[in-house]
Amino acid sequence: MVSLKEKLLSDFEGLKIDDREADRLFIDTQKEAVLSLLSYLKKAGYNHLAMVSCTDWIDEGKFELVYIVNAYLSGDQVFGKKEKKCIVIRTKISRQSARFMTVMEIFENAEPYEREMHEMFGIDFEGHPRLTPLMLERDYKIPPFRKDFDTLNYVNNTFGKIPSIEQRKEGLK
Amino acid sequence: MDRNQISKWLKNPGKMAHKYSFHVVYFCTGCGIIEIPPSITTRWDAERFGIIPVATPRQANLFLITGYVSTKTLKAIIRTYEQMPEPKYTVAFGSCPINGGMYYDSYNTITSLDKYIPVDGYIAGCMPRPEAVFIGVTHLWKLIDMDKADGYKRYREDYVHYRANQEQLYGQMDWPPLFPVEKKEQANL
Repeated sequence: MVSLKEKLLSDFEGLKIDDREADRLFIDTQKEAVLSLLSYLKKAGYNHLAMVSCTDWIDEGKFELVYIVNAYLSGDQVFGKKEKKCIVIRTKISRQSARFMTVMEIFENAEPYEREMHEMFGIDFEGHPRLTPLMLERDYKIPPFRKDFDTLNYVNNTFGKIPSIEQRKEGLK
Repeated sequence: MDRNQISKWLKNPGKMAHKYSFHVVYFCTGCGIIEIPPSITTRWDAERFGIIPVATPRQANLFLITGYVSTKTLKAIIRTYEQMPEPKYTVAFGSCPINGGMYYDSYNTITSLDKYIPVDGYIAGCMPRPEAVFIGVTHLWKLIDMDKADGYKRYREDYVHYRANQEQLYGQMDWPPLFPVEKKEQANL
């Protein structure tokens, strides 16, 4: 029987597949192939999107998006029992124009992850129905999870500038 | 009852009753809340010290801030504190409410709590063990005996300043002031 790795390599171009780990399969791919790869894997039995995450590689000028899909149901023809349970898809997008497609058409539960990444990294997901604030209340000039967000400077300028009650009292006199 | 304390009871029964029946408001913030379940259950049994958790701030007189305070949580803390009836006492856990602790450079964690609400005592440590919580409570008894646990009085007296600090952090506040704030004093600031 043909393994999933060989099938993926024959069906898609430009994949870099790393299967050294026991349980996980790492796929590095171009950003155009992510949607088709995810729908392919969903049909193959990997029907649970466990996580969408992001890394800021500021020296390269890239954001790395990470999609983790798991398989909980077996018995499909493609997904044999010897295959790996967890597949990690990694792709890089430009940091300057941080735009990507939403994967909500394939996995609907990607919605809060994409909202969070929009909030924390400033990535725009085209086709997402509501990219409104999810957790943050305050306004930040740079999204706070980007590497060029100077946290200590921000703290000194906001919380540090609030005077203590004693200082306020002295200011009154 | 301790015989040595009979004179204290006769002198000021209300204060003694407050002292030995702390009703803690169930408010979970940060990581220190994990110390509360062992403290109130059989192993350390907080009821020996008269501490009992209650469900609503309207019935509580002790507020335990159990860890770091994010800006969003601080709003809830201020509202809960203002709902508690007087006399009320605040004890902050761990190093984070003192100066930020390990979150000193976090983008949404405030660095010192006593700029926004009065704090009667701090329990240092990260995290303090349940024994330290009880030592903190016995220290609070001493402070109440000496009339030094006056956080709620300070909050009433200096409410203008506390409110000004809260407004500097949040901009527009969602709820009206607890005590009347004179417009003139605000303009001077």
